[in-house]
Amino acid sequence: MDNQPLPYSTGQPPAPGGAPVAGMPGAAGLPPVPHHHLLQQQQAQLQAFWAYQRQEAERASASDFKNHQLPLARIKKIMKADEDVRMISAEAPVLFAKACELFILELTIRSWLHAEENKRRTLQRNDVAAAIARTDVFDFLVDIVPREEAKEEPGSALGFAAPGTGVVGAGAPGGAPAAGMPYYYPPMGQPAPMMPAWHVPAWDPAWQQGAADVDQSGSFSEEGQGFGAGHGGAASFPPAPPTSE
Amino acid sequence: MPDSDNESGGPSNAEFSSPREQDRFLPIANVSRIMKKALPANAKISKDAKETVQECVSEFISFITGEASDKCQREKRKTINGDDLLWAMTTLGFEDYVEPLKLYLHKFRELEGEKAATTSASSGPQPPLHRETTPSSSTHNGAGGPVGGYGMYGGAGGGSGMIMMMGQPMYGGSPPAASSGSYPHHQMAMGGKGGAYGYGGGSSSSPSGLGR
Repeated sequence: MDNQPLPYSTGQPPAPGGAPVAGMPGAAGLPPVPHHHLLQQQQAQLQAFWAYQRQEAERASASDFKNHQLPLARIKKIMKADEDVRMISAEAPVLFAKACELFILELTIRSWLHAEENKRRTLQRNDVAAAIARTDVFDFLVDIVPREEAKEEPGSALGFAAPGTGVVGAGAPGGAPAAGMPYYYPPMGQPAPMMPAWHVPAWDPAWQQGAADVDQSGSFSEEGQGFGAGHGGAASFPPAPPTSE
Repeated sequence: MPDSDNESGGPSNAEFSSPREQDRFLPIANVSRIMKKALPANAKISKDAKETVQECVSEFISFITGEASDKCQREKRKTINGDDLLWAMTTLGFEDYVEPLKLYLHKFRELEGEKAATTSASSGPQPPLHRETTPSSSTHNGAGGPVGGYGMYGGAGGGSGMIMMMGQPMYGGSPPAASSGSYPHHQMAMGGKGGAYGYGGGSSSSPSGLGR
């Protein structure tokens, strides 16, 4: 069960059921059906994300509050940067630590959707810019992203709607990402050795499984079962032979 | 190279030229680690993207805090509390965040209450970064035995959990020995989906301990 998603996610087809753009002889044409399906898939991923977060929040434990993913002192300093802010209760930075994690996760998911639309495996600044431009609730961030990259967004949006988006070398919108790719790949050529071992078994199976479940309207119950099955963890860690309990 | 340093847990201080600059953002290593949880395993993140999200998070904090502060001033109160932040998020369009955060805040207050009741100090050696921040949050394992650590970064169980925490700084690289030691807890704690998010794995051990 856990092994199935890995090959799928590794292959990363453009959309389930949709014809790959690379395989189409007619480079200029891009059917609207795959786009519609892609949008549906994106919505499904975000819905699954929020459903999961609600479940996780219920299971917060003392250890979660003790070992925050983000340093509370730094959060407090950022809050205090506003001169109008006078006193902050102890629970405020704790709550913000969780809120910021949700914010980072949502922004990153939305950014990744843009990278996928452009057939890239590296998240770039303009992906974040695109996510901000597309999401109303992120309007307050518009000034954070340089205008130059904001300009790229209209082209990207048009490219998304226009048939020509599938062609990597077609037009200015397509050319920019292609030009950017070589610059970003070399620095990322040395991923931390430990990270793949942690992330590959832990992330891909569940996320892809969740996406598939959403399509079948069974994602919530599936997630519930996943939590209950403690022994399922063994299957999730094939690359961890040293442990045997 | 800088990206490799960040990924291997190098000090994020090196990324900034002045202390003031450093204080304006959350550590890029922490931000990067959370971003990775939202992406497939074979995805990469450019340094520019990490820095952009880093800036966005600070703006998010200031945005919410500003709204909450305005509310406190209108109501002639001096202290911003959790409910003010939740109200501000609702007002500013982050309704999706409020539901999980309410549950989270409720849990925190429960544990704070338990802490006050038992007044047992269980603070052991901790990474410097967390030692600095711990005073403002609970240092007590209110749940007792069935405390679940983060599935991806630490072990489950009170005593052994803390030991694992020592061996695995939240923001640092994981020594092979420590990782090996924590694997049993991973397998026990993580369900198929829970493990994917790290939190889920750690959290799922608590329900088991509580006899669900």
